[in-house]
Amino acid sequence: MTSRLKILLRGDADEISRWLAEPGMNWGATCVLVILIGSGLYGFTVGLWRAPLQSLYTAIKFPLLIFLTCAGNALLNGLLAQLLGSGLSFRQTSVAILMSFALTGLILGALSPVSLFVLYNTPPLGSKVTVLGHSITLLTHVFFIACAGIIANRRLYCLLEKISGSRRTARTVLFSWLGGNFLLGSQLAWILRPFIGSPGLTIEFLRDDPLRGNFYEAVGRALGHILF
Amino acid sequence: MNTSKTPVTPPPLPRQDPFQFEPMIGETSPLLLLETLLKYPGRIIHELHSGRRPTLTLWSLVLALTGMAIYGVVVGSLAGGTQLWVAPAKLALGTLLSVLICLPSLYIFTCLVGIDVRIRTVAGALFASVCLSSLLLIGFAPVAWIFSQSTDSVAFMGTLHLLFWMLGMIFGLRLLSGMTRFLGGTESAHLKTWALIFIVVCLQMTTTLRPILGHSDHFLPAEKQFFLTHWLESLGGKR
Repeated sequence: MTSRLKILLRGDADEISRWLAEPGMNWGATCVLVILIGSGLYGFTVGLWRAPLQSLYTAIKFPLLIFLTCAGNALLNGLLAQLLGSGLSFRQTSVAILMSFALTGLILGALSPVSLFVLYNTPPLGSKVTVLGHSITLLTHVFFIACAGIIANRRLYCLLEKISGSRRTARTVLFSWLGGNFLLGSQLAWILRPFIGSPGLTIEFLRDDPLRGNFYEAVGRALGHILF
Repeated sequence: MNTSKTPVTPPPLPRQDPFQFEPMIGETSPLLLLETLLKYPGRIIHELHSGRRPTLTLWSLVLALTGMAIYGVVVGSLAGGTQLWVAPAKLALGTLLSVLICLPSLYIFTCLVGIDVRIRTVAGALFASVCLSSLLLIGFAPVAWIFSQSTDSVAFMGTLHLLFWMLGMIFGLRLLSGMTRFLGGTESAHLKTWALIFIVVCLQMTTTLRPILGHSDHFLPAEKQFFLTHWLESLGGKR
């Protein structure tokens, strides 16, 4: 397992494309385990600023968000992969996306000590600068998650290029997957909120009305507050 | 035979690349390690990768921390008194903590660069990098000491120490990029991202463990601050 993870990190497209051709879901299950540990560990550090209970909730919700996004879009991503000529089956599509998230999980897991250090230096809840503390926590995690996401998607692009034999196809397939995953993922993240935990709200696994509103409405409202 | 009247420019002499990845010569000793770090850093990487000198990693760490502690005495000489032992202790501790916090991510980012490497090699290279930085800091120590005896300005001395530290860090990080070249790494953007994280962690550590330069009745601060806020306040003369 360790040697495979090292190869995954190195992005050896020749070797990784062979794993996709293997029958069964052993490698897929390994990726699930890596996502569970890596992103769970990182999720724990995300919620810790608010309270230990919040950190436990976020440690559960962070991998859950990834799994729900993968599961919700499995059919769509598989269809797009075949329609756009990537040469990947439904099972291979799911494993490829899981691999990409496993890589994200590995990177985030490795950044957990840095995240803890940032947390140690962040003004705590209840201090005079609580809002600053919340903003610092938010920005740090946005930066780390963006870095991990960009790296993982670049790796996925190389793999798609290797399998499809065409840059254009690889790009189209990747962006179509990203579009679908972003659309569903952002709404799932909205439903599963809070992750960091707002200073003024109570700690809870899900908000009382998790399905009310959506991510895009909230972004629109926030922009409206700034602009008008 | 050359019949033209224009003088013939001789070919340039071959320049010796310091990153020649070849075995180290001689018995492992602190002195040999320091000499090799300065003259042939590539040999250190070669030995760390081959794993033939297991004590090299430990020596690198010990010398790095000792070097930081020595420079810490100069840092503490501005305030004098208890800072003469507090500053070295904090600099050595801060360096150790920064290295330990960033080691897991360095290992992952090194793998992302596309090389097959053991964590022991990565740890050794990181310790050697910090060791090289601290060695350069010791080189700057007399200059820093002269200035610290001529001024009471914490802001000025802080800037000067930061400048020296950055110079040391540039050379130290070159060793890490040398390691990726030696091991056949392809992308440097990942390592640059990690270097940015490491530098921010180190800079934040100076604020976490403050005061290092100035004097305080407390060993550690009660208030949490980010380094940029702390620096701006220090430059403005608030503390």
